[in-house]
Amino acid sequence: MNRQNSDFEPVDDPLFNRVLSTLDVVVLERSDNGDAFHLRGLPPEWWCQRVGPTESPVLNSLQWSPFLQDYVADHHPAWDDKPGTIEKSGPWMESDRQGCIMTLEATALSIGSRRLLLIERLGAGFAQMQAIVQRAREKMLAEDVTMKSHRKAETSLMGQLEASERTKDDALALLQHLRLAALVLDERGCITFASDRGLEILGCTAKHMIGLAWDQVLPLQPQDRSMIREMIDASSADRKVGPLYIGGPRPAWVEMEVHRDLRQPGRQIVVLNDRTELHTLRQALSEQASFHDLVGKSRAMLRTYQLVRDVAQVDTTVLIEGETGTGKELIARAIHFSSARTHKPFIAANCAGLTDSILTSQLFGHKRGAFTGAVTDQQGLFEAAEGGTLFLDEIGDIPPPVQTALLRVLQEKEITRLGEARPRKVDVRVVAATHHNLSEDVIRGSFRADLLYRIRVARIQLPPLRERREDIPLLAHSFLSQLCAATGKTVDDLSPDTLRLLMSHVWPGNVRELKSAIEFAVISCKGRDILPTDLPPEIAAVPVAPNPSTWIPLSGQDEKSKLLAALADAKGNRTEAAKRLGVSRATFYRRLVELNIHPS
Amino acid sequence: MMQKKVCMLGGFAVGKTSLVRRFMTNVFSDHYQTTIGVTVEKKSVSVDNRDVMLMLWDLYGEDELQRVRESYLRGSSGYILVMDGTRKATVDTAIALQQTVVRTIGTVPFVSIINKSDRRADWEIDEGAIEQLRERGWTVLFGSAKLGQGVEELFALLATQMVSAPVLPRE
Repeated sequence: MNRQNSDFEPVDDPLFNRVLSTLDVVVLERSDNGDAFHLRGLPPEWWCQRVGPTESPVLNSLQWSPFLQDYVADHHPAWDDKPGTIEKSGPWMESDRQGCIMTLEATALSIGSRRLLLIERLGAGFAQMQAIVQRAREKMLAEDVTMKSHRKAETSLMGQLEASERTKDDALALLQHLRLAALVLDERGCITFASDRGLEILGCTAKHMIGLAWDQVLPLQPQDRSMIREMIDASSADRKVGPLYIGGPRPAWVEMEVHRDLRQPGRQIVVLNDRTELHTLRQALSEQASFHDLVGKSRAMLRTYQLVRDVAQVDTTVLIEGETGTGKELIARAIHFSSARTHKPFIAANCAGLTDSILTSQLFGHKRGAFTGAVTDQQGLFEAAEGGTLFLDEIGDIPPPVQTALLRVLQEKEITRLGEARPRKVDVRVVAATHHNLSEDVIRGSFRADLLYRIRVARIQLPPLRERREDIPLLAHSFLSQLCAATGKTVDDLSPDTLRLLMSHVWPGNVRELKSAIEFAVISCKGRDILPTDLPPEIAAVPVAPNPSTWIPLSGQDEKSKLLAALADAKGNRTEAAKRLGVSRATFYRRLVELNIHPS
Repeated sequence: MMQKKVCMLGGFAVGKTSLVRRFMTNVFSDHYQTTIGVTVEKKSVSVDNRDVMLMLWDLYGEDELQRVRESYLRGSSGYILVMDGTRKATVDTAIALQQTVVRTIGTVPFVSIINKSDRRADWEIDEGAIEQLRERGWTVLFGSAKLGQGVEELFALLATQMVSAPVLPRE
């Protein structure tokens, strides 16, 4: 068919009518002057409903919708200068006579010299496209809302973060300003925060601390470490301990407070209070008056404390010399507990008055059957003190065979149990004590010189109480407190007269005698203060010794004559003679034996 | 009666149809129904005691899915640029559309409105952006199709501007 054929009249073609009806399209032909449109073919039903019944095939465009009017009034190249092109109006919506909304689209085109306007009602395809666009836009809007919500949340979080950073900075500045030393531990005990002051006290850098377990990082003593572990594990909210020694480049004494983080119960806040200065001052103050269980602030005692500290640093054998009751065992204990052996045993043995076999068995142990009564294998004191300290009191009284065995132990560092041949290695520090003058014993031949030199590597001489009388009030008050605590008795003080008596007494039994006297007085005391009458009669009644030089030095013929004179004055009564000389009865007896005096 | 074609222009979902509905029937619906194509509404207003028939061409929103056909703009005596205060991007769309209009039909009166002033707390369009629009010579109104705020004023202002503007010959 020639589409350009001007004779073509589709109006009469039934097939053309059916095609138009099927496509839902209205075909209008524009008049040459453009004023009118002629309906061509049979229009679809919707068109009739829209424009109403009309007999005339000529349509008045002024009755059309504004959109269509606008469209046909517009210039269309398809109708004028560009025949063969097709121009679509794009969809528009309008309602029919019943008010139903229709979506229409117009198309302008030319066929030959004839200008046609097709009006199509958009159907299912358009509705589908509309639904897709609707969904897409709804999705875009929803995404926009989500994005805004995210942005808002982000802004809010950033704000919170900023505020939190500010708070943190403020808190850090405050910590810094207050010089507060604090650590924060997480649930696993790892350090998550350490203030500058905390790092300073601990002598660590944050790099070497943050993220690590506290017990790996803090330079604590082992016993303190376990104590803090227990404290952290404890359920109480706040716990305090100290002062504790912190090692490292800057040793310090700190008090530790552990607080549960109330915001996160698994976390702990550890506050460190540097008490180094306070501790040093307290220690200095305390050391002025006491050292371990030793009491006294006299120059002689302060010298002794220092000597003990020095001796504790080395592992040599020590000989402690002093009269009975001066506290030789206390010195030995102080050496042990100031030394590196502090966590190992301290065993004290008195060597006086024992036979050599018993002493040997006691010191070195024995094998079952080694002697009558040895029913089981028994370890000796050397083995019992393994790693620690063995205090041998009255070493001057050791029988010669034991001296030999002891020398061997000190030289070889091994012992052999009685009845055994196999030596056993021992690591024991020996601290010996005596009231003898061992040098004289060596001269006399009662003590082995080589053993003396072996045990007297370090030497501490304890002053008798009468040579440190300024310590008597301190000691008396110390014993008074101890005894009151032990007996539950309330005795507040010593009367001035009592104190004067105590100060003027010779104290041949030294500190031990003073302690006994105070114990006696506490028992006797009926009031709040100890009166002279509460003291033992020999102290209360005996006139004050006029001259402290009545002390008998352990040397020379002079001593012997003084003992004899005292005996004569006391008419042979040894107790009375000892009292007159200001020594204990035991010392007096011992001196008599040592100086070969046999009173009738 | 004087007839004036007015195009409603703006990004999608800024509230063009809602403004027209509020103006035409004083009704508002929260349900968003996208416009595809064009709906033309007519309403008569009085300007200086002269009746003016406004032919409101409610065009589909401009976005990457649909571009406004220039043919729709032809014959417009004025236009309204609608923006959504809660979406800053609708300002850029409005600016682009305004440039399209000028390119297509030249300079005709227009008024812009930032819709959704009922959700002022959620607005993204700030004072700085509004000031920039005014610096471009735009008349910027604020309104809410939901509350009916600024709607009458919007159309009345444009009608006044159109009546006093010289009539351009149709291309």
